[in-house]
Amino acid sequence: MRELKLFLGPQHPGMHGNASVHMFVEGDIIVRSYLLPGMLHRGFEKGMERHSWVNNLALIPRVCVVEPDINEMAYAMGAEKLAGIEVPERAHWIRMIILELARISIHMMAYGGLGSPTGNYTLMYHAHADRNSILDIFEQISGHRIYHQYIVPGGVRKDLPVGIEKDIHAFLDDLESRYTEYRDLGIENPTLVKRIKDTIMLPESVVWELGVTGVGMRSAVNKEYDIRKVMPYALYDQVEFEVPVSDYSDARCRVDIKLKEVVQSIGIIRQCLAKMPEGPVRVPMAQGQSMRWTLPKGHVYSVVESSRGEFGYYMVSNGGTHPYRIGVRGASYPQGLLGIEKYLPGTRIDDAALWVDTMGVCSPEIDR
Amino acid sequence: MNSTNNVDFLKSLVEEKYKVNKTEVIDQYQISFEVEQVEVHRLLSELKLEGWKQLSYLSAIDWIDENEFEMVYIVFNWDRPVHVQIRTRIDRDKPVMNSIMPIFEGCKYYEREAHEMFGIKFPGNPDHEKQLVLEEWDDMPPLRKDFDPQAYSDRKFPVREYNNDFVELNGKKSKQKDRLKRAERIEQVGKRGNK
Repeated sequence: MRELKLFLGPQHPGMHGNASVHMFVEGDIIVRSYLLPGMLHRGFEKGMERHSWVNNLALIPRVCVVEPDINEMAYAMGAEKLAGIEVPERAHWIRMIILELARISIHMMAYGGLGSPTGNYTLMYHAHADRNSILDIFEQISGHRIYHQYIVPGGVRKDLPVGIEKDIHAFLDDLESRYTEYRDLGIENPTLVKRIKDTIMLPESVVWELGVTGVGMRSAVNKEYDIRKVMPYALYDQVEFEVPVSDYSDARCRVDIKLKEVVQSIGIIRQCLAKMPEGPVRVPMAQGQSMRWTLPKGHVYSVVESSRGEFGYYMVSNGGTHPYRIGVRGASYPQGLLGIEKYLPGTRIDDAALWVDTMGVCSPEIDR
Repeated sequence: MNSTNNVDFLKSLVEEKYKVNKTEVIDQYQISFEVEQVEVHRLLSELKLEGWKQLSYLSAIDWIDENEFEMVYIVFNWDRPVHVQIRTRIDRDKPVMNSIMPIFEGCKYYEREAHEMFGIKFPGNPDHEKQLVLEEWDDMPPLRKDFDPQAYSDRKFPVREYNNDFVELNGKKSKQKDRLKRAERIEQVGKRGNK
């Protein structure tokens, strides 16, 4: 049979982000494939070297478009580690609220993303509407919907607005009340289950071979491998939550875990709102001009648990006002590049979009 | 799970068997070792056997003043949560570092990226010279410190002339001139400082 070349993306309703999957197909079976991530700005890392530590605060959220807060958190944690800054307690709680809200929003987006390549558009609209409510909350908190620039080294930019707790509780109650409805619409829906059950497998050996982390890893190895549990940052050791795991990783299982994580995140946010003390939310980064803020020499790698796995910043300072080198460890790097090259072949063309969605591939963090 | 023990365990494990130039304990979850180039593969495979079987990050740093590249390998163990940084210096004029693909297969694309961004060669990695994100790149690898993006863009792209004349709309007088004057004044104040 003749081999054909097909593109999935960058302009394709089933593709998430500005990458393109090049597929060589025979019939409708993919025989070879690779990802071309070079569709984005490329040059964040170079750009960060050319801006001062403070200026970079405006640049870093752009590294992952749909989930910007993890970038701010990893950068802030790295800078604090280098400079030896102690963050006030209230700031930790606020950061956790922001990160968990962001986790719900990105899981909702991924869940809705399942709807578009399977033709289940109701799911997509509902999930995106809920994400929108979260963006409204972010707008109230930080003034921005997508790129908040809210978590800064030393704490958070400003305190929560008065009365935001009421809005957050209202949203969480609303989402929780419709949780079973969501499951029925998506992963309990027989038409969709037939499509995503027992397909797009991710065995444990592949997890270790590629270095997949996050939901993909936990769905295959059946252990609570979550950075929030194994090496707690912020105050994750003071809240109670479970890490949903499984030992059979098909597409449905990974989506199921994402939905279960949403429930856990709701619980975490409620605990944060209840436990949060009053007090300062930020310590000054430096004495005098912040533009001349210098960090002591050192190499540090700071990680957070993103919705796709271990997301880290490798930061090198030579003692100057500018970073010497900043490297970003994108959580979807292993499955996005090597995974698509090695394990996408053998599936069908229409599985490719589902593969990319359920594995959680975010192209900007590959092409940073 | 006692994480301080993990750091001590790593420290004794590595310092006993390998020649370590510098050890730095960053916190209870992170430790870094600076080793010689020849030790890297042995050290990484030993760490993998001990459970540090996830390659979290691989990249390079350009120390242009010392004419050296510094390779960075970060491995992680989920059961004994410590990030181990392994760093080694290589020559900047002829940057060659043997691939670690036999140990961590997931390094394939990291090495490819390091080749593209720094020009480091990785014998043992079959694809390392293929282009990854830079299409039709014709200059030195861009993450090297002596690469100047501004000079590259000046050389590569034509200078664009901007037209500042605006048409008068609906008989209303254009305020463009006033705006330009104001911008000029602001710029002058910016240069000499507000008195």
